[in-house]
Amino acid sequence: MSLIEIENLSVTYHVGGHDVRAVEGVSLSVAARESYGLVGESGSGKSTILRAICGLAPVSGGTIRIGGEPVGAHRSKAFAARVQMVFQDPYASIHPRHTLDRTLSEPLAIHRLGDTDARVVRALTDVGLPPAFRFRYPHQLSGGQRQRVAIARALMLEPEILLLDEPTSALDASVQAETLNLLNRLREERGLTFLMVSHDLAVIDHMCDRVLVMQHGHAAEELTREALAGAQMQTDYARTLFNASADRMLEA
Amino acid sequence: MTLLSVKDLKVTFNTEAGVVEAVRGVSFSLGRERLGIVGESGSGKTMTGRSVLRLIRPPGHIEASEMLFDGIDLMAASEREMRALRGQRIAMVMQDPKYSLNPVMKIGAQLTEGLRLRDKVDKATALAKAIEALEAVQIRDPERVMESYPHELSGGMGQRVMIAMMLIPNPDLLIADEPTSALDVTVQAEVLSILDALVRNRGMGLIFISHDLRLVARFCDRVLVMYKGRVVEELAAKNLMQAQHPYTQGLLNCLPRIGGSRAPLPGLDRTAAWAE
Ligand SMILES: Nc1ncnc2c1ncn2[C@@H]1O[C@H](COP(=O)(O)OP(=O)(O)OP(=O)(O)O)[C@@H](O)[C@H]1O
Ligand SMILES: Nc1ncnc2c1ncn2[C@@H]1O[C@H](COP(=O)(O)OP(=O)(O)OP(=O)(O)O)[C@@H](O)[C@H]1O
Ligand SMILES: [Mg+2]
Ligand SMILES: [Mg+2]
Repeated sequence: MSLIEIENLSVTYHVGGHDVRAVEGVSLSVAARESYGLVGESGSGKSTILRAICGLAPVSGGTIRIGGEPVGAHRSKAFAARVQMVFQDPYASIHPRHTLDRTLSEPLAIHRLGDTDARVVRALTDVGLPPAFRFRYPHQLSGGQRQRVAIARALMLEPEILLLDEPTSALDASVQAETLNLLNRLREERGLTFLMVSHDLAVIDHMCDRVLVMQHGHAAEELTREALAGAQMQTDYARTLFNASADRMLEA
Repeated sequence: MTLLSVKDLKVTFNTEAGVVEAVRGVSFSLGRERLGIVGESGSGKTMTGRSVLRLIRPPGHIEASEMLFDGIDLMAASEREMRALRGQRIAMVMQDPKYSLNPVMKIGAQLTEGLRLRDKVDKATALAKAIEALEAVQIRDPERVMESYPHELSGGMGQRVMIAMMLIPNPDLLIADEPTSALDVTVQAEVLSILDALVRNRGMGLIFISHDLRLVARFCDRVLVMYKGRVVEELAAKNLMQAQHPYTQGLLNCLPRIGGSRAPLPGLDRTAAWAE
């Protein structure tokens, strides 16, 4: 049994009289301790899949199971302790008018965990931010610093599953390396499971065992890491993405 | 020909916890070309870009011995003169597009507002122009997007809407802050070719802020590398991969590669003298 099982998932939004079929009949499963990637066209439904797992998208068909249990309409406190998401837009997980201290300690208070001070300092240090930053507000940070706070917040509750939506897309190469190393170390140490979106195939290759290529709401193709590295893709779209990847272009 | 020249730019914030020197003496000039700015998270790239538009909120403070745009002294210009320049002659694509767009206004209204009010264009023409701009940035269903609010767009769609909005008034200078960081490679290539055409055909000046070294190496003419509020290296973009400065070299080494090792990525040694 896989830890995350998504079967035939469809999500339809309604906007100004239009139906937006953001995800159509997508299935995937992620084993415990596996790291699974989602790549694909902008607007193809990657974030929507992660949001659906968290109960934040209008599911119109299919099922989502975590540890064999279908997730219902409402996510419990226990779900939050188990599954955490790092949103693509950092402002989705950090309140603009709260200090970082408050943003990071809030989940601890809700879940009645102690040792707040030490945990907050540790979380900041883990993502490469000076502890003195805890008294800053989000607008006093750079874009990449805000993204790191969002990662720190997701780690506060020591979840078992991390849903990561472009977690390093606002980070320069050095901070990206440190963040990816941190995520991999935590996965190893705590036996975490990742479902991770990135538009950077090199990041996916470094982090993930398997990857699903998405296009226009559909699953185009699933690839193992070996197939990705060996350019053994079957669909034209996956091949185009691969050929246009920045790290390959420079070698040519 | 110089479109913008900046000399000894400093941006400081007086916070309760002390003075933060976000930009510490940055100088550069820009012609009708593509200038890249790369550098570590927090190194002052965004603040440098915002300074050109004098968009630094108090307690932030800008100082420069010179900041000239097409003969206009930006340090001496009145707030009213700056408002006339912003969006019209100098536009900026913000790093957090969804946060910079108006959350309670439909995309269509935001795209056509300037055309209707400022350029007195009739409604049908403004709508047609807006849709054309969205198609240019590869939005699949522009009519639906016109009817959407910012929170109803994906990350990369928000970025592309912001780019479309900034390009509608035909600015002379575009400052693009991480404009393609959420785009897949194929859509990214289309967006870059639009920017490229504007520089080549219309002579627009482009400041392209990005953390993506490989992208900047391919796309820009010249690159400034920033570290802790300073420019540590300036070089032709095509030579970026042969950069001399230990910081730039360090950055290149820590990029993951398809088919590369899964061992921890090399970090950056920040203890060396240059890091001060
Ligand atoms: N709250 C919403 N209301 C209406 N439509 C939405 C909403 N959120 C997303 N959509 C639409 O669903 C589609 C898929 O969006 P999603 O954010 O999942 O894409 P994505 O693959 O994450 O793209 P990107 O790489 O650009 O972030 C898009 O067409 C988007 O406009
Ligand atoms: N209002 C503020 N008060 C105090 N410090 C600030 C404020 N705004 C920004 N800073 C600091 O200024 C420095 C430069 O920020 P800037 O946004 O220019 O970085 P950046 O190079 O764009 O980084 P990124 O790649 O992460 O976006 C950062 O260290 C940031 O924490
Ligand atoms: Mg997304
Ligand atoms: Mg920035």
